[in-house]
Amino acid sequence: MKRKWTVLVISFVMGLFLAGVGLAKEKVTVYTSLETDEIVKYLEVARKDLPDLEIDIIRLSTGELGARMLAEKDNPQADCIWGWAVTNMEQFIPLNMLEPYKPKGVEKLEKRFVHPEYYYVGIDMYIAAFCVNTKVMKEKDLPMPKGWNDLLNPKFKGLIAMPNPVASGTGFLQVSSILQMYGAKEGKEDGWEFLKKLDKNIGQYIKSGSRPAKMTAQGEFAVGCSFDFVVAEQKKLGFPVEFVFPIEGAGYEIEANALMKGAKNPKAAKRFLDWAISENAMKEYAKFKYGVTLPGIPTRPDLPKLSEIKLYPMDFAWQAKNRDAILKKWESLFLR
Amino acid sequence: MKLKKEGQGLTFSAPVSSERWLVWMTMGILLAILAFFMLYPVYDICKLSFLKGGTFTLKNYQSYFSNPRMFRSLTNSLYVSLVTTAITTFFAFFFAYGLTRTTIPGKNIFYTISTFPLIAPSIIQGLALILLFGRNGLITRYLLHTDWNIYGATGIIVAECLYCFPNALFILYTTLSAVDTRLDEAAQSLGASALRTFFKVTLPSAKYGIASAAALVFNLTITDFGVPVVIGGNYNVLATEIYQQVIGMQRFDLGATISVILLIPSVGAFLLNYYLTKKSYALISGQARPFLQPSRPFKKWAFTIYCWIPTTFILIVFITVFLGSFVKTWPYDFTLTLQHFDFPSLGGNAPLWTRFWSSVLEGQWRSLIAYKYAPIWNSLWVSVLVALGGASLTLLAGYLIEKKRPGGVEILYTLSVLPAAIPGTVMGLGYILAFNKPYFFIYGTFWIIIINIIICNFTLGTLSSIANLKQIDRSIEEAAISLGADPIKTFTQVVFPLTKTAFFSNITFFFMRAMTTISAVIFLVSAKVKLAAIEIIFLDIDGRTASANAMCTIIIVLVVAMLVVMRLITGKSGLKGMSVTA
Repeated sequence: MKRKWTVLVISFVMGLFLAGVGLAKEKVTVYTSLETDEIVKYLEVARKDLPDLEIDIIRLSTGELGARMLAEKDNPQADCIWGWAVTNMEQFIPLNMLEPYKPKGVEKLEKRFVHPEYYYVGIDMYIAAFCVNTKVMKEKDLPMPKGWNDLLNPKFKGLIAMPNPVASGTGFLQVSSILQMYGAKEGKEDGWEFLKKLDKNIGQYIKSGSRPAKMTAQGEFAVGCSFDFVVAEQKKLGFPVEFVFPIEGAGYEIEANALMKGAKNPKAAKRFLDWAISENAMKEYAKFKYGVTLPGIPTRPDLPKLSEIKLYPMDFAWQAKNRDAILKKWESLFLR
Repeated sequence: MKLKKEGQGLTFSAPVSSERWLVWMTMGILLAILAFFMLYPVYDICKLSFLKGGTFTLKNYQSYFSNPRMFRSLTNSLYVSLVTTAITTFFAFFFAYGLTRTTIPGKNIFYTISTFPLIAPSIIQGLALILLFGRNGLITRYLLHTDWNIYGATGIIVAECLYCFPNALFILYTTLSAVDTRLDEAAQSLGASALRTFFKVTLPSAKYGIASAAALVFNLTITDFGVPVVIGGNYNVLATEIYQQVIGMQRFDLGATISVILLIPSVGAFLLNYYLTKKSYALISGQARPFLQPSRPFKKWAFTIYCWIPTTFILIVFITVFLGSFVKTWPYDFTLTLQHFDFPSLGGNAPLWTRFWSSVLEGQWRSLIAYKYAPIWNSLWVSVLVALGGASLTLLAGYLIEKKRPGGVEILYTLSVLPAAIPGTVMGLGYILAFNKPYFFIYGTFWIIIINIIICNFTLGTLSSIANLKQIDRSIEEAAISLGADPIKTFTQVVFPLTKTAFFSNITFFFMRAMTTISAVIFLVSAKVKLAAIEIIFLDIDGRTASANAMCTIIIVLVVAMLVVMRLITGKSGLKGMSVTA
């Protein structure tokens, strides 16, 4: 009697499981480095716009996502990439990992953000920013930093959090912008000397671009090197924080979408990529991001105007070419 | 746990050829599973670390040892593990002494609470310590106003001590309660002082148990991933270094090299533990334990207070994480809220669950229940399948090893106990290297995770099956066979019912491990399969500590629910003897 029950229960369980697998909708697997907060909101819209598409997402930091895709190169698990740094995209093209795809409506986007052969299509931009906790600043009697140089002040010792550029795209654009500022493109080493000085004040290198801001908001550090909208979100949550865009010029990065070569569900992936540059999607992006690549969409009002920020003119081609070497050197110097 | 070749069952029934065939086939299948899912991945790791372009080279090792930062991960690991081993063994020994050799009140409470760390992912210790002693900790910042914090070696050591405590306790408890206490009494009645008795009689008789507990703690600490990843800060250890090299840097060769380096101390500690456990069993006397003399009041009070210390710490860990998941902003605002259970995570799709809830619910609730809670449902799913599969396979392995003993069974035995020696992170990396190929369709699905968890925990399952089968007299089985039952019927209708207790306790064990394991599985989660325990890590990395606590709370609630269910079914508490390795 009892055995019958066990058999019944097991076959019921297995049956349910197989049924779940069997009745599949159209499926797409998307890899992304967008922030979790945003993705949650975007997906609500995506699932409304594409009700018959089952969207599976993996979210990892920029560097970790790249590692994962490289590891899976011979057996790609992702169908497309969504919101991943252009620098890293550039590295993937010669590795033959991307498949050119011209999504519907791409002609409406600003040309300079779209790869000429449609290997990737840019969707938005994000900018390096410091998250400064005003309460901690007051307690420790610290001067408000205006840019990278002010962070060398020994008073900040141990009170700065910075992303680890190996894992975090934000960290990479910060390091890369400092290096470019100090003439790394002309072969100068001054940028590294600056980073060495800065290193003396860094309390912790964190494998995420948003976490330094979050930790600073909660009072664990005085300054968190992070990027624009994360700081705005912390402010909105009521934490005592302020934005600072480094006056030396703030580094930035474009995020883009691409189709994976060898995607298992190319049709579904293309549908998703079409959606990902649609007006509906762009409107959602604009609720978080500084600028989106579809012209005419208003950006969020609680961020300073783009015209008021001094952007550093990033050289994406140089970055892509030198990324591995920069990270290797960074690791040997600073990883503790 | 000796493999006695000369069983008492010399009068075995004439072996039917079909039975022999069946036994051989079963053993063949088990061997194939273990070889393919355990040896092959480890082989792939060794291959990758020693070969470059097809030729043997030590270049990877050279670059490991010549990089001071990476080399430090080895010394860090050894330091943390040795200190943890010393502290945990010391505390657990006297705790076990208090429980077995004194007449303190509340032994059951002490014992039960000390097993708590087993029902949660190891990461819970780290989370609690950060809430209390982190940069923004309740105690460090708000009570003491100090800048000191627990990140780094201190944090890892304290957290690992708490995590390893029950594992060491099980061994020492068994040792101390099995050694004949009449020796102590004899020594005392011959005039030895209490202290002298302790050092000359009690301690020596428990030495193998102590050493075996120490080896186990060392093994657990050096292979743990969850604690150092949350509380290590800039302090890197071998297990986190493997993850960093592989997931962060794409350096599979270096990851494999560090894996081999990690394998050496962990296999060493395992072998030592194994050897000492055997020795310690030899000292166990079969004599019934005589009545325990009532302890003197001073001893009684001292041990009662002493036992409260680790117990309190463990309780504080659990209470902190529970509280941390229900208050608004730790430690600023203690208003109660459920907002952290609305996980700011992506969730995912779960078979059945997502389709069902997304068709029933709308808007926010749909996103919450159908997608964000999907990893929890996935974890439950995986755990149920792991429990059934793991318990069945290990019972079968135990049955072959203990009762059937076909030729070459030693190989099966060795392979069955070996998984405990292999660190989870190593196994996880090995699975990527071995199975991420287009023709392994199970890669990236539930099944590879289920198989991985079963294999990683095969040791204890098999050992406890063997121990239980030992208690069944061979003659019962022989009677069944001579009455005409075929081998399958004998197994399902005679052997299985008699080993039901072992089977159910294995089910509980595998379920708990599947719900709480992190180290191997973190390499195997994919877009399609997300698990609750892994979500804790991702939430924490993302800076969402409160929600990480909330996820931890949910896992604990589910595991406790499972324990209650199993208790209702079997009428026994499932936690006894449920150490991670034997």
